[in-house]
Amino acid sequence: MTVLTPDLVDQVRENAEFNASACMNCGVCTAICPLGSEHLPRGIFRYVLLGMKEELLKQQETVFSCLLCKMCEVNCPAGVHIVENVRTLRHYFDRQAFGL
Amino acid sequence: MSERKIGVYVCHCGGNISDYVDVDRVVDAVKGEEDVVVARTAMFTCSDATQQEIYDDIQQLGLDGLVVASCSPKLHTFTFRGVAKRAGLNPFLYTQVNVREQCSWAHTDDHAGATEKAIRLVRAGIARTRLLEPLEPTVVETVPKTLVIGAGIAGLRAALGLADIGLSVVVVEREAEVGGWVRRLGPMYPHDKVGADLIRQLESEVRRRENIALFTSAEVVRKAGSFGNYMVDIKTHGQSSMTMQLQVGSIIVATGFDTYQPEEGEYGYGIEGVVTLPEYRAMLDAGEGPLIHHGRVVQSVAYVYCVGSRQGDGGPHQYCSRFCCSAAVHSALLLHRRDPAAHQYHLYRDMRTYGRYELMFLESRDKGSLYLKFPEDEPPAVQRGTDGRLLVTVRDQLTDQSEVQIPVDLVVLVTGMVPRENEELVQALKLPVGRDGFFNEIHPKLRPVETVVDGVAICGACQFPKNASESVASGLAAVTQSAAMLKRGRAELDPQVAAVDPELCSDCGTCYGICPYGAISPRDLTTGKRVAAIDPATCKGCGGCAPECPERAINLQGYTRAQILAMIDGLTKEVV
Repeated sequence: MTVLTPDLVDQVRENAEFNASACMNCGVCTAICPLGSEHLPRGIFRYVLLGMKEELLKQQETVFSCLLCKMCEVNCPAGVHIVENVRTLRHYFDRQAFGL
Repeated sequence: MSERKIGVYVCHCGGNISDYVDVDRVVDAVKGEEDVVVARTAMFTCSDATQQEIYDDIQQLGLDGLVVASCSPKLHTFTFRGVAKRAGLNPFLYTQVNVREQCSWAHTDDHAGATEKAIRLVRAGIARTRLLEPLEPTVVETVPKTLVIGAGIAGLRAALGLADIGLSVVVVEREAEVGGWVRRLGPMYPHDKVGADLIRQLESEVRRRENIALFTSAEVVRKAGSFGNYMVDIKTHGQSSMTMQLQVGSIIVATGFDTYQPEEGEYGYGIEGVVTLPEYRAMLDAGEGPLIHHGRVVQSVAYVYCVGSRQGDGGPHQYCSRFCCSAAVHSALLLHRRDPAAHQYHLYRDMRTYGRYELMFLESRDKGSLYLKFPEDEPPAVQRGTDGRLLVTVRDQLTDQSEVQIPVDLVVLVTGMVPRENEELVQALKLPVGRDGFFNEIHPKLRPVETVVDGVAICGACQFPKNASESVASGLAAVTQSAAMLKRGRAELDPQVAAVDPELCSDCGTCYGICPYGAISPRDLTTGKRVAAIDPATCKGCGGCAPECPERAINLQGYTRAQILAMIDGLTKEVV
């Protein structure tokens, strides 16, 4: 059971762009990802939006293994800027996990 | 014995009938029936060409009875009555036999059986037609005045609409103030117009009109008479309690709804900080800036949708209340605007912000509202948290079915609409109530505001859950229906109603209690004999009284005892 952290999205965002509110969880991104990654991107974005901090922190490996190939982004029917969101997430992990 | 001249027309309906029923065999089997002078098939009996053929037969052969074997009487009764009338034949000397819905469509696997059934049904139709007598519609003069029951937004707007057309209006409101639910509301979707302002505007307009009389703290307790000329008793409460009698031509019912009141403990209702949607709206409408509850700023809100709606097979409220998704999302937008830092979680089963209200849903997502979809069989649980806040546990189907706990300051139960208790009014007006407890229209598409009680229309949320604009739209539809009937000055009513033979009636009283429309009452004849009398304008021709009469004194005109017996003989005759 996860207790939500309401301002997680603000912590992730800081001054950068993070917007996934249009995501409707259709799963095209998951299906199309050449890495076959189960969590990227919709699952991880959902963790950020809801504030599931523990689950998010477990996804460090996935976030950094993303190829930024944009296959998901050009196919996203809701027009989510997936790659920009992943970059923002990498900055968050830099701050959070590596103290950069 | 009789010397009737009956024409029989059996329809192919393109192939709808003739693909399964051998229509030529039907014609062969019935053309020798007594009094049948012409029997033929037609590709489409309802076509202009065949209507002309029937017209010519009536005129040239002097037909005095007409049998059309085609589709349901619901579809074309008025078409063929019209043909008869144009040709100079009394329209009630015609019988419709349904060989499509009852034969070809029902027995696609048994052509011979369908044909045999069609033959029997047509014979019954002929047998009835042989005994038919001309009937004339009952004509009533209409009183150019309408009673509107309920002065909510729908009733008030309807009253103005009627007055604009030039009818007199009486508005009766049970509460001391007009305006119903809308009067209590602040900004309403979609244009953020303040509910109380809308009502003030309508009320001042209503009070200014000379042809509208408004009674508050008043109720309708009795209705007598019939369409076009009702007598209603109105009882006023309070200091000057009295009953007055009014004569009106039609009635519009706009009595509105109640909101669902959760049980103690339902989604934590009863715990401090768990409120219903109307309670939340009152909190929002009371102030400005960040929402304060019990001296603390509300930093986070969880909305639980579908409370008291869509309850499944077991519950009394199986319907969707329609307005609540949009109303809750709109409330969330109000809070987003006032306090952008507030966190808002929407726990839903399905979001139904239909039509343009979808834009509010999209806007709320952009502003940060989060939507979590919970499974129907695993609703969210609300409990008191350790820090004085509330803790909502929910399984989110959109996040790998994860179970999460949300700490919030306020839980809003998005409660739906339930039918308002109005037993006395239902009894007084004989209103048809559906299984869900709301009032029923005749036909949801084609007659959406009329009821089976002639001249009594329904509108607003007493019919089914509607938002304010839909309520007003249906109120104006009721205005059109009411005014269209009253402006004619006279109404023609179906003469196929029950009638009492005073010779046979023994005034036993059996029928008085049976009539669901209260159409039967005792009458003293000039001879001094007291008998039952049926008001032809109130009777619906349901036939409920006829078989109950021990003296066989009641007959339904158009379906008399003799006609029914002849039809049974026709049905049971050997098919050769």
